Amino acid sequence: MNLALSILSDAAASNVIDEIQKFATAPEQVDHEAYWGSVGIITLTGILVVFIILAILIFFFWGMGVIFSAIDNSKKKKAVSEKPTPAPVEKVEPVVAEEEDISDDDEIIAVISAAIAAYSEQDGKSYEIRSIRRKDSRTRSAWNLAGIGDNTRPF
Amino acid sequence: MKVLVEKSGFMGLTWQNIVMILISFVLFYLAIVKQYEPLLMLPIAFGMLLTNLPLTGLYHAYLWNPTDNGLLVETATMTKMSLDYGRVLHEGGLLDLLYLGVKLGIYPPLIFLGIGSMTDFGPLIANPKSFLLGAAAQGGIFFTFLGACVVNLTGFAEFTLKEAGSIAIIGGADGPTAIYLTSKLAPHLLGSIAVAAYSYMALVPVIQPPIMKLLTTEKERSVKMGQLRQVSKLEKVVFAVAVTVIVSLIVPDAGSLVGMLMLGNLMKESGVCDRLVKTAQNELMNIITIFLGVTVGATAVAENFLSPETLFIIVLGLIAFSVGTACGVLLGKLMYVISGGKINPLIGSAGVSAVPMAARVSQKVGQQTNPSNFLLMHAMGPNVAGVIGSAVAAGVLLSVLGK
Repeated sequence: MNLALSILSDAAASNVIDEIQKFATAPEQVDHEAYWGSVGIITLTGILVVFIILAILIFFFWGMGVIFSAIDNSKKKKAVSEKPTPAPVEKVEPVVAEEEDISDDDEIIAVISAAIAAYSEQDGKSYEIRSIRRKDSRTRSAWNLAGIGDNTRPF
Repeated sequence: MKVLVEKSGFMGLTWQNIVMILISFVLFYLAIVKQYEPLLMLPIAFGMLLTNLPLTGLYHAYLWNPTDNGLLVETATMTKMSLDYGRVLHEGGLLDLLYLGVKLGIYPPLIFLGIGSMTDFGPLIANPKSFLLGAAAQGGIFFTFLGACVVNLTGFAEFTLKEAGSIAIIGGADGPTAIYLTSKLAPHLLGSIAVAAYSYMALVPVIQPPIMKLLTTEKERSVKMGQLRQVSKLEKVVFAVAVTVIVSLIVPDAGSLVGMLMLGNLMKESGVCDRLVKTAQNELMNIITIFLGVTVGATAVAENFLSPETLFIIVLGLIAFSVGTACGVLLGKLMYVISGGKINPLIGSAGVSAVPMAARVSQKVGQQTNPSNFLLMHAMGPNVAGVIGSAVAAGVLLSVLGK
């Protein structure tokens, strides 16, 4: 099956193009009565065939994507349902609780305090942590930005 | 002494040779100082230099011209004129023999093998709509085909249908595809088409941004796109096989390019042919690049290159790139409207292949409008779709014009 050719032969143009091409030089080809018609048909069918093929690929891979995400989701659900429900953990009071603190994880606060302590030792100034707030979830984190920046720098 | 002088190249030097040698110097400048695609531009320029130094016997243009070196060959259906390859083997110089790889369509598919083994089709699989943008940007090819035919009316240059097809493929912004198609349709234009294609590919960051900015509003350019989903290994493997099967069934003439592209990609994504992937990405790719560049440059002999046609090819090539970019961006705009503002039209321009330069340009222009915007991965989708798209377009032109 050759789509490009079959569309052309439907338009009864395939033979005409071959006929035009029998002339070796351009002026002779242009003088052929069907020249501009054939040029138009080649242009239109060309772009049409490219679109048709890539559209077929879109549908194929869109379908594949749907199937694979479905498989992925069902796997995840299985994994979740198989997990035993965790025993309720006793809530730990946050250590540094200042202003609208969103973190109930003392580990993170400890790490941040330690980092700032290490930093303040270096430049001789002291800092205090007033609050730790969660950023707008729609923007990227500083680490995320730094990582993307690093990866895209060569481009 | 007299014999030595008579045998020296100076005796055969014509003004055309001198002009061509000077042109090769200009290309050296572009390759070395300006770094325009130096990996190919430098070998092309050197091939051009070698072929225009008289009496070296490295390359013989007449061996590749069916009227000078023809042979009647009987096939199952018809008798046709074909090149006498036996004579090429007997009389050919170094570059003639290496050029066999271009003429017989061997190097470009092997380059595609290397490209495939380096390409990640993940962004395209995650967002298959990108295929549409990759198709739209091929509009430049077919518009230029029309343009090359219209040039015939001016009377300054003449292009046959085959030549028009070869010039048009510059708009695919894909060097190996352009060389592949031109070597089949109009090999005498190979030098000028390759130089135009690679120059404009290097100039993508200059050509594209003004067109992209002209066609989009600030609001459209600042659109942030959602994160792409993760693509599994199995999907990537299925992709490589499925694209090969679908494309080769519909346009068999695109089979060798797309097939090799996907073979390289399958070797990479399957993860079981590490050694082969390394060879395809590095040694094989580099060897073929040298052979391809130097022999394509060698076809630029004075009588083919120094003609008004070359000037028109350079102008038409620029038109092809610009129209391709515009078509991609315009379809991007359409998708922006249909998706309700979720798609940034800037990724459309990446549909002209030129991997990964065109995607970088989308990223840069996007970031100029909105510094926290990262379009690169989104633009890679249309970008790699463009490679498949231009190979398909080449296959279409070959099937229609290549008899």
